[in-house]
Amino acid sequence: MTRRGAWLLAAWCVLLAIGVTWIQSRLHVSADLRLFMPTPRGEQQRLLVQNIGESPASRLLLVAIDGDQPAVLAGISKQLASTLAARPEFGLVANGAQAPIAIPDALLPYRYLLTDSFDLHSLDASTLETALADRAADMASPASTLLEAWLPRDPTLEVLHLVDRWQPGTEPRRVDDAWFTGDGRRALLLVETRAAAFDPDGQTTALEALRAEFARARGASPARLTISGSGYFSSVIKQRTQAEASWFGGIATAGMILLLWFAYRHVGFTLLGALPLASGALAGLAMVSWLFQSVHGITLAFGFTLIGVAQDYPMHLFSHLRRGESAEVTARRVWPPLATGVASTCVAYLAFLISGVIGLAQLACLTACGLVVAGLTTRYLLPRVTPAATRDPADSRLLERIDRRVSRLPRPLALLLVIPVAAALVFWLRPEGFWQNDLSKLTPVPPTLLREDLALRRELATPDLRYLLVASGIDEQDVLARLESLDDSLAQAVNRGAIGSYDHAARYLPSDARQRARQAKLPDPAQLERLVHEAAAASPFDAQLFAPFVADIARARELPPLSRAELATTPLALRIDSALFHREGRWYGLVSLFDVHDPAAMAALGSAASPFVTFLDLKDASEQLVAAHRSHILLCLDVSALLLVMVIWIALRRVSRVLRVLAPMVLTTLIILAVLRGFGVSLNLFHLISLVLAAGLGLDYALFFEHASDDPAEQRRTLHALLVCALSTLLVFALLALSTVPVLAAIGITVSLGVVCNFLLALLLTRERAA
Amino acid sequence: MRPPIPYLLCVAMLTSVAASSRALDELERALRRTPPVTTGFVEYRFSHLLKNPLQVSGTLEYRADGVLARRVEVPYRESTEVSGEQLRIERENRPARTLSLARAPQLRVMLGSFRALLEGNFAPLSRDFEVTLAEDDTHWTLTLVPRDARLLKALARIQVSGSEDRPDCIAALESDGDAAFTLLESQPVSAALPARAVLEHRCHLGAGAPRAAPPAP
Repeated sequence: MTRRGAWLLAAWCVLLAIGVTWIQSRLHVSADLRLFMPTPRGEQQRLLVQNIGESPASRLLLVAIDGDQPAVLAGISKQLASTLAARPEFGLVANGAQAPIAIPDALLPYRYLLTDSFDLHSLDASTLETALADRAADMASPASTLLEAWLPRDPTLEVLHLVDRWQPGTEPRRVDDAWFTGDGRRALLLVETRAAAFDPDGQTTALEALRAEFARARGASPARLTISGSGYFSSVIKQRTQAEASWFGGIATAGMILLLWFAYRHVGFTLLGALPLASGALAGLAMVSWLFQSVHGITLAFGFTLIGVAQDYPMHLFSHLRRGESAEVTARRVWPPLATGVASTCVAYLAFLISGVIGLAQLACLTACGLVVAGLTTRYLLPRVTPAATRDPADSRLLERIDRRVSRLPRPLALLLVIPVAAALVFWLRPEGFWQNDLSKLTPVPPTLLREDLALRRELATPDLRYLLVASGIDEQDVLARLESLDDSLAQAVNRGAIGSYDHAARYLPSDARQRARQAKLPDPAQLERLVHEAAAASPFDAQLFAPFVADIARARELPPLSRAELATTPLALRIDSALFHREGRWYGLVSLFDVHDPAAMAALGSAASPFVTFLDLKDASEQLVAAHRSHILLCLDVSALLLVMVIWIALRRVSRVLRVLAPMVLTTLIILAVLRGFGVSLNLFHLISLVLAAGLGLDYALFFEHASDDPAEQRRTLHALLVCALSTLLVFALLALSTVPVLAAIGITVSLGVVCNFLLALLLTRERAA
Repeated sequence: MRPPIPYLLCVAMLTSVAASSRALDELERALRRTPPVTTGFVEYRFSHLLKNPLQVSGTLEYRADGVLARRVEVPYRESTEVSGEQLRIERENRPARTLSLARAPQLRVMLGSFRALLEGNFAPLSRDFEVTLAEDDTHWTLTLVPRDARLLKALARIQVSGSEDRPDCIAALESDGDAAFTLLESQPVSAALPARAVLEHRCHLGAGAPRAAPPAP
């Protein structure tokens, strides 16, 4: 390396270091899955996208404790619930031991505005008479202990009625006042996290807190903790992906260094080979963080996977070096196929920029920018810092033997026919389930965890995760009124058995209009006084006893309607906040459904109240969304394929050359699709991205084989370069194929298959025969 | 505080005490009996909240599965069941009401004592109450005075009385003067409401314990 080269190298490294610091300070990584979703169309999809990971149901963690005597487990459950409730990471904590939601003393007169008891029959003489007869019976029953104290103030027991009404529809079995599974062996808790389900970092913090508190509550007991729920899954998947990624990364790096050492026997080459990729990655990141506010974690993961193609660029340079020839001359020689590869791939990614999916646009931007910079640095910077070649790969005995063997093989033109026919046959035989439409499979959870989750959900009777009714309106009152207007038909649905029960914000906080209407129906003090006297005369009670009751009703008549602000510090606020909120200028109220038996009836109920109420089938909406998403991506892929062919055409100019370059890529794509189909794998977004990567690799291989001249030595250098490229890529992706995270495994298998097929097909079909 | 009469009644039902002189530990052993047991009852309730005392009658049952059931038949129908930590009350034409004993700790103390009596294990009973046994020629009286100051504020004492091996009355005397008298099966039920003094006499109030048990300050 010259003195100038050394300076240049130093400057390059410094620039990279600056780049790293700048990006670290700027880059905001988001885990919001919504960045990777297409612009939703229609109310259903819009609500779906808003709801993913943020609905109250999705923020619930399901907790089970087992492994000890029920009494001990109940004790741990109570201790855990009380410590968790005091922590900032959690909202609602429920395990059955909590007193039912109580109305704060100061708000007690409001009970006459909150209760529905007098909506049908107003508070008249007969209502009161019946109530007093009931209270007399209470006096002679064991319950008198509990009810006596309320008698003078609340003879109709409205407080009790409200508390009952606010209880969840069905409750798990109780042991020692803690929830248990039906078999009585596991204590159950429901814990609401403040962090959204798709926020794996927030979820991880919450889970750590939960585990720490459990360890404290458990003491010396051998009890075990089981956690489930969407948030738990997102944390588990992130941790697993991270752990495996770093493990695989380590092995892949070591393998790469060994491979490069074996190929070039030069430490310098091994280190320099990393520079274009590093430059490309940094440039891509810089571009994305400059153009977009936040980068999705998936963009980063896939972006770096796709940029991995650039690791091949320096190898093309190094393998084509000749003794006595300056690296800059070599760079000029390998530039045409390299530039064609870079240009065609980048043009193909441009199609994603206009896909309308922010995540994909980011991915395209990151990859295209990265590849261009990696290509340019390989062409213009790397040669200036590359030391003079001491070995020529063309001299390798091993390579010569391989070369001779390969040359003797016949050109398998029959494959051009066999592969498409075989693939068509596979598609025809296994037509079902070609595409994966289940959104939950995009971040797949191991089936054992899903089964556990389902079992716990059934025991805890949590709201249905799939079906929801959503009311919307211009303000809070508007939405509350809409929710109230649904009450009649919802109650009918409960009676008919279409649903087990339901819950919404207006059950806790009636609209101002309804509260005023109830106020207006309350008797005035003189009237009430008369009513009480009348009713008491027929009862064993003295009318004077009910003075506090008369006073409370008088207060209730004068009160301004109860507002959300007054409930802010009560347990009711938690329930209201998660089910009544505004987004983008509009207010929404969620109706949680429990135990849905007849979704069609609920859909009809929703459409009857359309357009202010929407029935949301999250699974259905998400499947439609994914399908729409995919057809969008497929369209993008078609456009990119067209652009790619055009660029190749412009570069190569002859039909026969273009066909020879494209054949391996097309055949490989068919093979991969046929193999995946043959094994019954449904394609998802990750497969598509992997296919794009494999096609890009195949294109590069074919371009280089096609470009190699008749010179046998030069052909051997190209073979060397492509062998190193293919082996290094295979190393990385074969490791990924071993991953236990389904997404990583899918990418690994698809790309590994692509590398092998592309390399062999390009070698056999595209490569010129030596003269 | 109103004592849960059904438990005490059942205690009485299951208790067969001979008139001869016995120490408390002998009584303890004698209390052991195997459910199910059923008996009729009449209950009179005197309360400052009431213009006139209430009178109800029906049957009491202690079932083999540990559930206590109290069925009122006159003047209305009502069924109360205590199973584990739950108290469930069902009345004609009314939805059932379920109450948790956890929210009524004093009621729970009573239930605990009852179980202790059934098991013939006075340790928990004497932990919650001061237990004394008094006898004369024809009658015996078991008196329970709560140890818990909060409970004592509401409930002055409970007296279970009987003759020979037949318990026939449970009186729960509240600190504010309210009281409940439960007469068992053998007692004739008169349509007319007896005066409180008559009931007090029937239940031998003042026989075993001071007539008014003033709570210790």
